[in-house]
Amino acid sequence: MWFYIKLAWRNIFRNKRRTLIAGIAIAIGLASLILSDAFMIGMENNIVKSATASFLGEAQIHGDGFRETQEVEITVRNFDEVITKLNQEEIVDKFTPRTLSFGMVTSPADVSSVLLVGVAPETEIHLSQIDEAVNRGSYFTGDDNHDIIIGSKLAEILEVSLGDRLVVTVAQAETGDLSQELFRISGIYHFNMKEMDSGMAFIRLEKAQQMLGIGSRVHEIAIKFKDKTYAVQEELPFWETYSQGGNEAVSWTKLLPQLKAFFDMTGISLFVMCLILASVVVFGIINTLFMSLYERMFEFGVLRAVGTRAAGVRKLVIFEAGALGIVSIILGVILGFVSTLLFTKTGIDYRGIEFAGTTIKDMLYPEMNVLQFIIYPIGVFIFMLIVGLYPAFVAGRMSIADALRKSL
Amino acid sequence: MSNKMKNEANIIVTKNIKKNYRDNGIEVPAVRGIDLTIKPGEFAAIVGPSGSGKTTFLNVISGLDSATEGKVWLKGKLLTDMKGKELSDFRRDHIGFIFQSYNLIPVLTVEENVEYIMLLQGVDKAERHRRVLEILKEVGLEEYADRLPPKLSGGQQQRVAIARAMVSRPSLILADEPTANLDSKTGAGLLDMMKELNKKTGMTFIFSTHDEMVMKRARRVITLKDGRIAGDETKK
Repeated sequence: MWFYIKLAWRNIFRNKRRTLIAGIAIAIGLASLILSDAFMIGMENNIVKSATASFLGEAQIHGDGFRETQEVEITVRNFDEVITKLNQEEIVDKFTPRTLSFGMVTSPADVSSVLLVGVAPETEIHLSQIDEAVNRGSYFTGDDNHDIIIGSKLAEILEVSLGDRLVVTVAQAETGDLSQELFRISGIYHFNMKEMDSGMAFIRLEKAQQMLGIGSRVHEIAIKFKDKTYAVQEELPFWETYSQGGNEAVSWTKLLPQLKAFFDMTGISLFVMCLILASVVVFGIINTLFMSLYERMFEFGVLRAVGTRAAGVRKLVIFEAGALGIVSIILGVILGFVSTLLFTKTGIDYRGIEFAGTTIKDMLYPEMNVLQFIIYPIGVFIFMLIVGLYPAFVAGRMSIADALRKSL
Repeated sequence: MSNKMKNEANIIVTKNIKKNYRDNGIEVPAVRGIDLTIKPGEFAAIVGPSGSGKTTFLNVISGLDSATEGKVWLKGKLLTDMKGKELSDFRRDHIGFIFQSYNLIPVLTVEENVEYIMLLQGVDKAERHRRVLEILKEVGLEEYADRLPPKLSGGQQQRVAIARAMVSRPSLILADEPTANLDSKTGAGLLDMMKELNKKTGMTFIFSTHDEMVMKRARRVITLKDGRIAGDETKK
């Protein structure tokens, strides 16, 4: 065995230029896979962060049916008990309560429908980035219950600016009576996300509860985990614990199913890319191995003549494919590492571009992980051995007399 | 003497060996029925013009090629019935080959080339090393054990090929035009060396050749013409 490995290793360097060309072709394929995977991970994390950290949270608790109907009567059941439990929950980092209702915002110039969000400013800052996005005015300083924060686009629509007054109208829970209040614009935010900039307005939680006539109840508790991966672990007892007593706890994967589907699709795209690269590379490898095989036909004939079994010759060809694989992997890993590292420094500017309903807010950076440098190289190596089977089979079946005759 | 005993007492016995090739769909006979017996320790040359069937006959008697018809016994074993692993192992253990263009593996050192067959036989490393050095000394190349074949002259490479053929102590050495690529002086030296080894070890040597030097040195000259034996002369 070791003898064949040694022989195969030396054989592939007999024609250094050919080995280098074939090796570079495979290495480019491997490096592309590593880089693509790093980009996929970077993009996924970036989009998830854009989607969850802006406002959504990594998970949410609602009363059953609220997500489907958005009816203001449906609030989180046993709110105090849920809050107590969440405070003791080890995997939960922060959480914040919210009210959500549709309402009308009226200015002297125009009127617009919005999603009116009642927030607890002191805890909301841990869950969303509204405070960071406020670029005019301030984020709920003081204790004026008539402060309202609106998006830049909404301000444009309503032709208002900081300090202007707005009338907010909502329908009360249970009765459906209209409730109106006058608010003063204390802050204007810009998220660079169309829905948020034009369709949302934020007021204090107590004021929202009062307008909606829901007492101290809330519609939503947004949650941030200590580790973002908890959000995608469906087997965690967390989901069951908080999906009892008329409530439901859902992660962002269910709140944004289109995003989950998008990521699944990118996974499939990567797989398809693997297949395409593999099929391009496969012919190159087979060609290289066959050129090497036919060039050394007489040598294989001699090996067989002196008593090497067909299996020995097959082994030698497969080991040569493996040796070529190792050279390619070394080149590919270096190339993949350098190119990924380069992009982790420069990043790609996809800011403002929308993917599956979520607008990317930050620069996109590929994310390297150890598995990229283990799984893909191992995959390439196994692939090389499999590809080597065909020339190995041909080498094992060749007639010794024909092989000896060919090169004479 | 019964046929069985006769086959066992001889190195090679062939009976009505025929070999046809297909060339563009046409059956071309290369060997047309050869009956031949080679005794242990012979130093024989199979001679004849190009196309007379020398190489084909050597290929068939060594199991490198199959016969279209007829039988070959090698050391009493019916070679023409062997296949696959059995045939490979039999060749490895009983036949040494020397080829016209040396055909050493260029990426292996002289020592590695020579020890290869013993490696296939499962001989342990120390014994392999001992026997390689011994045979390299016999062929005058003990100082070249670590060299790669491309760094050697043609004559030296053919000596390595002889060492490779003999190191596993086979009963039969088949040499296909061993002097064809060598100058006459080197060729003569090699032939003398092989004759000496033949005397010393008792191994049987069969050459296919049309080199006068080989014919002069061979104790038996078998002449082939159109795939048949046209002459078989044993020198006194």
